[in-house]
Order: sequence, then structure tokens, then C-alpha cells
Amino acid sequence: MTTALTPGAGTPPQASRINRKVLIAGIAIVVPLLAVLVANLGRDPHTVRSPLVGRQAPPFSLVPVGGGRPVTLESLRGKPAVINFWATWCVPCFEEHAALTAAAKGLRDVQFLGIVYEDDEARTLEFVKQRGSAYPSLMDADGRVAIAYGVFGVPETFFIDGNGRIVEKYVGPLQRSTIAALVEQARGEGR
Amino acid sequence: MLPILGRTLILLALLAASAGAVTGFVTGKNPSPAGWTWTRRLAYAFAAFMVLANLTMEYALLTHDFSVSYVAHVGSRAVPTWVSIVSLWSSLEGSILFWGLVMGAYVAFATWRNADRHPEYMPYAVGVWLACGAFFSFLLAGPAQPFATVANPLADGPGPNPLLQNHYLMVIHPPFLYSGYVGMTIPFGLACAALLVGRLGNDFIRPLRNFLLLSWIFLTCAIVLGGWWAYEVLGWGGYWAWDPVENASFLPWLTATAALHSALLVERKGVLKAWTVILVLSTYLLTILGTFMTRSGVFNSVHSFTQSAIGPTILVFLAAALLFSLALLALRVDTLGADGRLETGPSRDVLFLVQNLLFVLFTFTVLLGTVFPLVVEAVRGVQMSVGRPYFDRMSVPIGVALLFVMGVGPALPWGRATPRQLRSALLPPLVGACLLGAVGLALGVRNPWTVLALFFGGYTAQVTLSEMFLPVRQRMRSHGEGLLEAFRQTQSRGRRRLGAYIVHAGAVVAIVAVAVSSTMGSSKEIQLRKGEATTLGAYTFTFVAAEKVVEPHRDSLLARVDVSKGGRSLGSLYPRMNQYESQREPIGSPAVRSSLTEDLYLSIHNIDTDAGTVGLLVLVNPMVTWIWIATGVMALGGLVALLPRLRSATAPARVAAPSAPIALGGSN
Repeated sequence: MTTALTPGAGTPPQASRINRKVLIAGIAIVVPLLAVLVANLGRDPHTVRSPLVGRQAPPFSLVPVGGGRPVTLESLRGKPAVINFWATWCVPCFEEHAALTAAAKGLRDVQFLGIVYEDDEARTLEFVKQRGSAYPSLMDADGRVAIAYGVFGVPETFFIDGNGRIVEKYVGPLQRSTIAALVEQARGEGR
Repeated sequence: MLPILGRTLILLALLAASAGAVTGFVTGKNPSPAGWTWTRRLAYAFAAFMVLANLTMEYALLTHDFSVSYVAHVGSRAVPTWVSIVSLWSSLEGSILFWGLVMGAYVAFATWRNADRHPEYMPYAVGVWLACGAFFSFLLAGPAQPFATVANPLADGPGPNPLLQNHYLMVIHPPFLYSGYVGMTIPFGLACAALLVGRLGNDFIRPLRNFLLLSWIFLTCAIVLGGWWAYEVLGWGGYWAWDPVENASFLPWLTATAALHSALLVERKGVLKAWTVILVLSTYLLTILGTFMTRSGVFNSVHSFTQSAIGPTILVFLAAALLFSLALLALRVDTLGADGRLETGPSRDVLFLVQNLLFVLFTFTVLLGTVFPLVVEAVRGVQMSVGRPYFDRMSVPIGVALLFVMGVGPALPWGRATPRQLRSALLPPLVGACLLGAVGLALGVRNPWTVLALFFGGYTAQVTLSEMFLPVRQRMRSHGEGLLEAFRQTQSRGRRRLGAYIVHAGAVVAIVAVAVSSTMGSSKEIQLRKGEATTLGAYTFTFVAAEKVVEPHRDSLLARVDVSKGGRSLGSLYPRMNQYESQREPIGSPAVRSSLTEDLYLSIHNIDTDAGTVGLLVLVNPMVTWIWIATGVMALGGLVALLPRLRSATAPARVAAPSAPIALGGSN
């Protein structure tokens, strides 16, 4: 290389013409790649879908808060069920409590159940008395049922079809519309 | 005070980069000496503001100024000074600031070196660099603001990610990675300039190759340093997991390696210009894709930073860069016509092509495997992981094929060869091939792919060594000189060639070491009580005691394991579990006893000091040390090839300096 002041020896540039082959090949790679990245934006890879979805829900037999006959999973057969793991120390659980109560009142053919996660009975009873509830909450004193369901934290809600199969697991506070949609899904798959 | 200073500097950098990008493109289109002078000034200004912004952040980190948001996130009074210094790249916002520093340094250096050269191309090139620089400045000014003001600063902060403090390799891995990644901006700008000018002359391919090679050296080291870190810290016993972010660093490396080879054909034969430009463009785009992968939170990986607004911003830039490159290529690629012709038939030329296609195939394979889980999730809503089996199955044949081509290619002459030439070139290295293959079989290698890798490795090693010393032997014969003198004489002129073959030698060792270590290792998981022993191969491991060590920034549980081989004691190993204050889960630190033949690797699964039990993963990994050595050799080869060219390239430019650099800028 002497200096760049001598004109390059290359062919003189031709008038711009679109190279269709390059354009089409490029679009074929670029557009799908971007589409996939855009579609996945905002996804949190750390939420791992529960391996229980699609399987039989783990059985349990738990006593309701305030005492009474134990409620078993078996007894829910034939109806879709919504099982909500919650605790009085969990702020998002307050938020969804109203939505769950309203949904339970509206959807008479669905069995709603609360399972109390790492909390004591007296406080839970107090909470239910103050805020009211449309469905029983069960005490899971040693946390075995929560472990069987693979609960990470509260609130987590399982939607179960009439055959006792888990249709969906929802992490975080539920809203009325989400409950309705997921219950519909549980109904559909229970047939 | 510091937050305002920092933000001001970032805004000034953004201003300089945006203005410089505009003047660069305008000057490229309508050449003028004043335009070029201003473009250069703005490039230097961008670099200076980035340096100052980084110094400001370092000052804030060292003085524990918790009114700076980044310091409030990662600073701590409890950590040692060196940790404070390297905290700059320990977290998202700081790493982008550091990115800006590296970019500023590259842009300033590349502008300075070419200030009096390539007058048609350079304004465009600087324009492209500064456009990229403007984007990263924007990222720092908006979405990734490291200099946000904390209204009521706390007295102390949490300290950086413990993984950074857990091993020194994590301190040097990121700077190497950024130097490799960011450095690819320079060849990208040069390639864009070649397209915009509509010519890729023999003179201009040199800066392109040099900067590509410089970044390639950093990237090579960074990838292996990352693997080394994973090996020494993560405790699962391997160095490469095909993690999305590992792939993200590997993808541009593959295309850059291909481009380095095709650039040689551009230089020698004037062919493959458009192809080389496409490879260089792809390399940069893949680095941006990699940046997106690490910073968007879309991919699940040990590397990912937390989710942030930065992801969408980088995606917009990636889309813009992709579409710009595509449009530029579609419009201008036909201007880069070939000056020569490629030989057909068995020749080195054709093997270059095969090699390039293999690298591109490799790139697509890895890209597909990395992106495929996202496709499946987007289309079917099912989470899945492609995982190692896919990558291993696909990469092993390609790797072995590359090893083969690396042997056969250099053995063949340039241009057409007669059958006799072919025989005399291709047959002798079979000796090396059979030798290494036989050694492997004798030592118990049975995996067919490993045997094949050894066979081709021997072949390529012999070709590489004989090519490396070919000029020396010729000189010894023609000048009657001794070995050392002949070496000194030839290496000063044929350094680039020598460097290339040193890289090849390193690559052979690396591929063979990877093949052997991944197929010939042995491992076992075992639960031991105090005083119990287990054996693996010729080694006996005795769990002697569990100890607890309390340090200011962490508590550690250590297992003392005595190791002996054939009754002879080899001392004790101390795998440990470190519990950092800011981290919920403990981080394991495996104990590795390395030697040239094999590593002993102990990693704790669980440890109970009260019960006196430990769950251990015990591995014997052969030849792993050779991977690290081979990488050093490859980097050295790259430097050998690069350094003299940097020096010799400066000399003629000085002569040309006085004349107006823009004189012929409008010749297109």
C-alpha cells in the first residue's frame, strides 16, 4: 500500500441496482429472527411452567380454618376446582381476595378452595372474619400439600378440571377476568 | 454533584457522536477537508467524554458516593478496593458505560491511525462508528441511566454481584469480552464504508483485517476465559454448556474467523469481496444480538442481567442495524465485483471456500439451536430447551471437518495442482495422523469421533509445523544459515504467515483437547461420612473434615479431602460453599488440581458440619489444561500476525500526510 491518493484499481462502481438475491435471502433471515425476538420480549425466562400442569392433582385431606370435617380433593370430583394458596402476610393475596370471593359467588358450579400457606390459624380466622369469604380455606399446617403442589410463594392458584387434572397454574394475584377465562378452560377440558 | 457531572458528560458524548455521524456521512458524500477535520474532532470528543464519564463513575465508586444510582446498586464500603474498581462492569448500567469507554477508545484509535489514509472511505466509516456510538450514548442517557440521582442516599450499599467477587477470572473476562465485542464495530464501519464508496481495494482490506484480527484475539480469549471461569466456579465440572449467552459470544467469533480467512482471498486474488463484507457485517450484527440476549432477560442463562427497559431499546437498534445493513447490501453489493478468479479443482483456494462454508454452517447451527426454544414458545406456548445433545451432535462433525480442512488446505498449493504435487503434499502428513491416532488408541480412546479428531489432529499438526518452518528450511538451504539465524531472518518478513500457523497450531491442540476431555473423563457422585474414602480411577479421595470459615464478606463451609494416587499422597483439596450476605443461595467453589495430563475436580453438592457428611461430585478430566494453553497460543499467534503490520502500516502514511487527504475523495 503506497498511499490512498492513487485511485483504487477496482472496478468502477456501477449504478445502484438492487440485488434481489441478497435482499430476499436477507429478509428471509432477518424478518423471522426479529419477529421471534419481538414476540419473546417481556417474557420472564425464570418463570418455569409447573410440570404438574396436565397431570392429576396431588391428593390431600385438610381441615378447614376454624375446624370441621376434612376436605379432600376426591370430594371435588365432577366439578372444576380453583385452589388458591395464600397467606395473611402476603400483600398480593389481599389484592386478589376480593376478585376470588366475587368469582366464587358468581360461579356456583365451581368449587373454590383456599389453602393457607405458612401462617397460623388464629390470624387466618381473623382475616376471614374481617374480609369475608365465599369458600373454605384449609390449614396446611406442615406445608406438605404446598410442597406436593410445588408452590414457590404465594399467591399461586391451580385450576383443576372435573377429572382432577391440573389445567393451569397461575402465579401472582388474579383478576376477575383471568379467573373467568381459566375456569372456562378447566370446564372445557373436564368434558 | 457527581450524578449531574456524569449525566452532562453522557449528553455531551451523545451530542458529539450524533454530530460526528452526520458530518461523517455528509463528508463521505461531498468530500471536504473541513468536513473530515470536524468529523475527526467529533470522534475524539466522543471518546474523551466517554473516558471522562467512566472516570467520574470510578471516582464515585471509590469514594462511595451513594447519591449516584449505580453506586447505590453495586457499591459497598465493606468490599476491597479492587472490587470497587471492577464494579464498573459488574452490573447492567455500568457495563454499558464501560462499553462506551471501550468504544470511545476503539473509535479514537481507529480514526487516529487512518486520519491521513483512505480519504474516500474514512468519513463514512467514522460516520457509522459514531452512529453506533450515538446509540450507546442514548442508551446511557435514557434507558440505562447509571448516573441517576438518588435523593436520599443510604450510608452503605449491597456490593456487587458475589459471582464477581468469587473468582478473579470474572474480573478479567468482561473487559476481554467487551474489547472483542465492541471492537467489531470498527470492521463493521469499514465494511459499510466500502459498500457506500462502492469499492473494496487491496489497500482498504488491510485496516479491515487488522481491526477484525485485533477484536478476534480479544474475543477468542474472552470466550475461553468465560469457559475457564465456568469450570473453576460453577462446579458442574465442564467448561462449555451451550448456554444462550455462551453461544452469543461464539456466533460472532465464528463469522469473524470466516471473515479473516476470506479477507485473505480478497487480498491475494481480489475475489470474495462481497462475501467478506457480508461476513463482517454479520459479525457486528451478531454482537448486537448477543448484547440483546444478555440484557433483555429473554434468554435464561447464568449470565443474564435482570429484566429492564434496555432490552426493547437494544432490539430497536438491532432491527435498525439489520435493516440498514440489508438495504446497504442489496443496493451496493454489486459494486464490489471480483478482480480475479477462484481456481476450481483441488487447490488451497477451494479449501478456503469449504472452510468458509463450514464456519457459516456452524453459525447457522448454533443460531438455530439458540433461537429455537423462543420460536417454539412463541408459536406453541411450550417451554423447551434445545440443550447440549443437539449442539454436541451438530458441532462435533463440523468441528472435526474444520480440523480436516485446516490440515488439507494449507497442505495444498495455491492455484491448480498436478496429481503429483497433490500426492507429495497430501500423503506425508498421514504419518502424523496415524501416529497421533495410534497413540490415542493405545491410551484407550475408543470414541470414534475422538479417534477421528486425533487422526485429523495429527495430520493438521504435521502440516502446520512443516508449513511454519518451511521458510526457515528454505532459507537454511539457500543461504546456508543455522536454524536460529534462518528463523530470525524469515520471521521478520513472514510474520503474518508465521502468526497464522501459530494460531492453527493452537487450534489443533484446542480441538483435540476438547475432544479428549469431553469423551475420556470419568466422574462419580458420592455421599461420604467423615473418614470415609472413595476411589475413581487410580485416585483415592478421603473426606477428612468439614470446616467453617468466616470472612467479612462471606461465610464458607470447606470440606478437606485428602487425595492419593496409588498409595502416594497428593495433598489435600478444599472444595467449598460460599454464602454471601446478599445472596440467598450459597455459591460453590470447586477445588481443581490441574496438571498437564489431567485435572482432579471436586465439587460439593451438600455439606453438613454437624452430621459430618458431604455430598461430592468427583471428576477426572483429561487434557483440560491444554485448552487454556492452546488459547494462549492462538492469541499469541494473532498478535504475531498483527503487530508488525501495525508498525509497517504507519510508515508510508507519514510520507503521504502533507498532501490534502481529500484530493481524490470524489473519484467515485
